[in-house]
Amino acid sequence: MDLTYTAEEEQFRTELRTWLAENIPEEWTRPGYWASLDTTESFEKRREWEARKTAAGFSGIQWPVEYGGRGGTPGMKAIYDEETIRAHAPQTVNTLGLTFLAPTVMAIGTPEQKAEIIGPMLRNEVIWCQGFSEPGAGSDLAAVATRGVRDGDDFVVNGQKIWTTNAMHGDKIFTLVRTEAGSERHKGISMLLIDMDQPGVEARPLKQMSGASEFGEVFFTDARVPAKDCLGEIGQGWRTAMLLLSFERGASGVGQYTEFRRQYDEIVAEAKRFGRADDPVARQELARCLVELECLRYHAMHILTRTEQGKDLGAESSMTKLQWSEAFQDLWEAFEKVLGPEATLAAPRPDVDLTPFHAQDHWSRSVTIWGGSSQVQRNIVAERVLGLPR
Amino acid sequence: MFFALTEEQEAFASTVSEFLADRFDLEAVRGVVEDPDGDGHPLTLWKGLADQGALAVLVPEEHDGLGLGLVDAQVVARALGAGVAPGPWLATVLAAEAIRLAGSAEQQARWLPALAAGETVGTVALRGEGGAWDGSGITVDANSPEGDGAGRLSGSASPVDYANVAGLIVVAATDASGTPGLYLVEAGASGLSVRDQHTYDGTARVGAVDLADTPAEPLAAGGPDAVTALLARGAVLNAADLVGVAREALSRTVAYDRERTQFGVPVGSFQAIKHRMADLHVAVTMAEHAVLFAAHALDTDDPGTAAAVAVAGSKASDAAWEATGAMIQFFGGIGFTWEHEAHFFYKRARRRAPLFGSAEEHREHLAALTF
Repeated sequence: MDLTYTAEEEQFRTELRTWLAENIPEEWTRPGYWASLDTTESFEKRREWEARKTAAGFSGIQWPVEYGGRGGTPGMKAIYDEETIRAHAPQTVNTLGLTFLAPTVMAIGTPEQKAEIIGPMLRNEVIWCQGFSEPGAGSDLAAVATRGVRDGDDFVVNGQKIWTTNAMHGDKIFTLVRTEAGSERHKGISMLLIDMDQPGVEARPLKQMSGASEFGEVFFTDARVPAKDCLGEIGQGWRTAMLLLSFERGASGVGQYTEFRRQYDEIVAEAKRFGRADDPVARQELARCLVELECLRYHAMHILTRTEQGKDLGAESSMTKLQWSEAFQDLWEAFEKVLGPEATLAAPRPDVDLTPFHAQDHWSRSVTIWGGSSQVQRNIVAERVLGLPR
Repeated sequence: MFFALTEEQEAFASTVSEFLADRFDLEAVRGVVEDPDGDGHPLTLWKGLADQGALAVLVPEEHDGLGLGLVDAQVVARALGAGVAPGPWLATVLAAEAIRLAGSAEQQARWLPALAAGETVGTVALRGEGGAWDGSGITVDANSPEGDGAGRLSGSASPVDYANVAGLIVVAATDASGTPGLYLVEAGASGLSVRDQHTYDGTARVGAVDLADTPAEPLAAGGPDAVTALLARGAVLNAADLVGVAREALSRTVAYDRERTQFGVPVGSFQAIKHRMADLHVAVTMAEHAVLFAAHALDTDDPGTAAAVAVAGSKASDAAWEATGAMIQFFGGIGFTWEHEAHFFYKRARRRAPLFGSAEEHREHLAALTF
């Protein structure tokens, strides 16, 4: 066991921490600041922040230098996640592009795609959406029905995507489209990179139970996309999608722990304020949450070790997803149970605003659904890790 | 970053596991379970463990030990848990730890080589009936009638692992000022009696230790800090045993449910079973992580050690409790029979879960540390 980072990694931490201290405005560190902005205002601020951060050399931490990245280690990425969250830096507006699309393009993109996609994404000049889920294709992704018909050098696309993160702010969308008429299931699908700024593409916000609109719907009506803007081979979109999803997470548990642990501490502070911190049942409830969060931290170190050893995480990432999403959701359930009636009030006292808590609380219901629901993850763990029969 | 076992540690784990599989399998365990009046201390097993250095793991090299740490010791504890192995391994290792942590040079020289070699069986008596596992639950009083530091102990401690075969008992007692400390009591001392409490866990023997003006030697530095340190080590190694029990219970259940056919298909193909198994796999894996982290925290004197021990104790108890209950459920009727081994795992998990602090006590401790 050696739970330290290298001297070079710690040097990176110092540089990043210094830069963050100089570049994060005081008001950003106020609890609930980001929740207090409307979605567009928040988006634009984050977009500007991301560009500034990239210019300073603190984006694409693990990306190769040739793609404008820092060429850093997995440990540096973990440190980056931890430090940015600790400093109250906002979340990136290009998560899906940076996490999923970029490494896929690096792996299988054409030279033109590599040149056109990666740099602008890193500088946030182009915001990417993911067009996977459809009204009839949620957990069952192979049921995608959005269709593309070849017309000269283009595909003409018709159909609907849903649960599209940043749909209202996206410039482009990597989209699973059924490009072979009459094909079924995993066959005949292509991953098309579609320009959202055209008459045939319409995005509509989807108001969530929290009241926010982080997701949207995207409608394609005779939208056009050049056939060369297909990532991977035409008709091999399922394979491309599986490769893309394999880039999920890695060492991000370190950052998630930092974020959730802060939320735990904030909930404990409210429990004290409202006289609930001495109740033995409340203490058990909260401590149980902390046990799971600490386990997430240990698990993140385990995953980081495996990543540094160059081992394929494979189906193990399903375990990571289960642990963080269930622990996060349980934490917010504990908030409700421990605070009781006060938990349901935005202003239980004149000087107390629980609105940001409610935003997290209601958001927590989504995390066990998107990115592969907990039920799908349990199937994967049972079948591919434990070897139980399908 | 290296959050994993080294190759040497993996090899150590395999050595102990393979020894148990070859020389002390479940049939041998059954022999101990079905002989409740026996001492529960098979000598072939004990000698084998001693030969592999399993008893010497934490003892410094100058006292004929291996001089390794808790990360290495938890490897052994996990293997013993997985094998539901009987015997006073944990009891002896903890007695040696008490002497290593708080004994004088003379006390160490006298006891550690014998404990490391398995020539002397040790145990620890750190709590009395109904008491907490934090030093407040001690129901033994220490007096020094001659005023010469030599102690006389009166009171009782329970439950004490393998007091029936222990040549040396490390007893926690409070002095006239109410300060806890650690004392050495040798088998045969006047006023010492051990009463078998007949635990339902046939893979162990447990007794109540009664002391009536029994002569005892205080450990040189055996104050409250030593009691706390010993309890923490006990909690982590006990958690490691529980994690071994949990992992083995889960593996056996999964293997069975892959093969067992009902309604024309393996029952493991049903999601009602799959999802439970998946959740248990996550829980047991997290418990394994937690034990490893807590052991490392103790080895490195990490400032977060107290919290890490509480996390490990809580998570391992819960995981073992759940995995062994699920084992009986998902083996179905056969898992409920005496002939089947599921009850070895189930009973061992439930006997050990409350030792050195229940899951609830660990969580309360964690709350106290973070509120």
